[in-house]
Amino acid sequence: MEGTQKPLELILARNLLTSLSTPAFLVDHTGMLLFYNEAAGALLGIPFEEAGQMGVEEWGTRFGPFTSNGEPIPLEELPLTIALREGRPAHSAFRIRSASGDEHDIEVSALPIAAEETSGAMAIFWPVDAGRENGEATR
Amino acid sequence: MKVKVWGARGSVPAPGPEMNRYGGNTSCVQVTLADGETLILDAGTGIRSLGFALAAGMPNINILLTHLHLDHIQGLMFFPPCFKTDSRITIWGPASPEASLEHRVARYISAPLSPVEVRELPCDVSFRDTPVSEWELGSARIRAESVTHRGPTLGYRITEGERSLCYIPDHEPGLGAPLDTVERDWISGFDLARGAELLIHDCQYTDEEYPEHVGWGHSPLNDALTFAQRTEAERLLLFHHDPLHSDNFLDSLLGTAIKRWEAIGRSADQIELAAERREIEVGAARELATG
Repeated sequence: MEGTQKPLELILARNLLTSLSTPAFLVDHTGMLLFYNEAAGALLGIPFEEAGQMGVEEWGTRFGPFTSNGEPIPLEELPLTIALREGRPAHSAFRIRSASGDEHDIEVSALPIAAEETSGAMAIFWPVDAGRENGEATR
Repeated sequence: MKVKVWGARGSVPAPGPEMNRYGGNTSCVQVTLADGETLILDAGTGIRSLGFALAAGMPNINILLTHLHLDHIQGLMFFPPCFKTDSRITIWGPASPEASLEHRVARYISAPLSPVEVRELPCDVSFRDTPVSEWELGSARIRAESVTHRGPTLGYRITEGERSLCYIPDHEPGLGAPLDTVERDWISGFDLARGAELLIHDCQYTDEEYPEHVGWGHSPLNDALTFAQRTEAERLLLFHHDPLHSDNFLDSLLGTAIKRWEAIGRSADQIELAAERREIEVGAARELATG
């Protein structure tokens, strides 16, 4: 998607995430998902090039997240949302569902990115399981 | 708007007979506006000769620093107007949360690195953080933006009427990003350079040298050409030559650059390597006398 040039801080963050083998997300100050890397694409079951940018409501529900009991986690409790709204690092563990239906228990660390005129946040995802088959009961 | 190169070398001065044609002085470019006012881009060692050449009775001088690496400020202490009581010099540069621009420059212009302190300079000198938004100097509008390099670093776009110049002497936009395919809003410096009539851009390395210097903050030839192509700059002046690159080496690099430039449909007379004392009329794409 072409538009206004991104702040350098976000450009550099995307360049970093592109080079990482650890799944990672990048959002702007509105929560718009700007990018996720190949490793995140493998975890989510869909590469970023296919998924494209999406608003916070969409990415906050499209892949879950939910508790180990299967209950949805409110958007405001997600680490990325906390990093953006409160301007502080945040960490959490929860479960997501990939585009292919597999479920993954992950831990997520998010941190805010301060820029001159605007800001954003990035999150690293750490899968703590090897994936669950579609339909397998959650814990 | 006229541009004159006073120093095109990167990293460190590189004097010597094998460097005479392109020159060994570090980054400094003079921009003369239509109203006669002079802007100075960076204060590498080239600024010393520029200072001697400046017309007497030019009290207001604006120096726009891209960043504070030594090859971009080393000439400040030897800039003749600094030692004239009737000079009024404004130095613009990148802001930093760490310290003021004056404080950071004064680390160089102070003991034990310098025999004089900033406060001892007889000129009227002031230091200004570059604004985030566009501002005016004389008849020009100036825009500065952070670009990919090591440490806080700016690129500048200078617009006068319909004419535009973009100066990004230290830039590694291809770091972690494939410049030929990444979306343009994700390219460092894109908006600064977009459609500029003259783009002065980093080209410190050959493509063969670059793998040994990834992350050092500078571009190889291929990335400089791709950046110019993606931003649709009309004319490209390759800049910040590596101190190891002799005149003959740079001639060869230019030959390669022209071939590739033509291969992407551009004209050979719209690309060159910066050489000291080279003058270019921005907009008219017309060469002036060298010397």
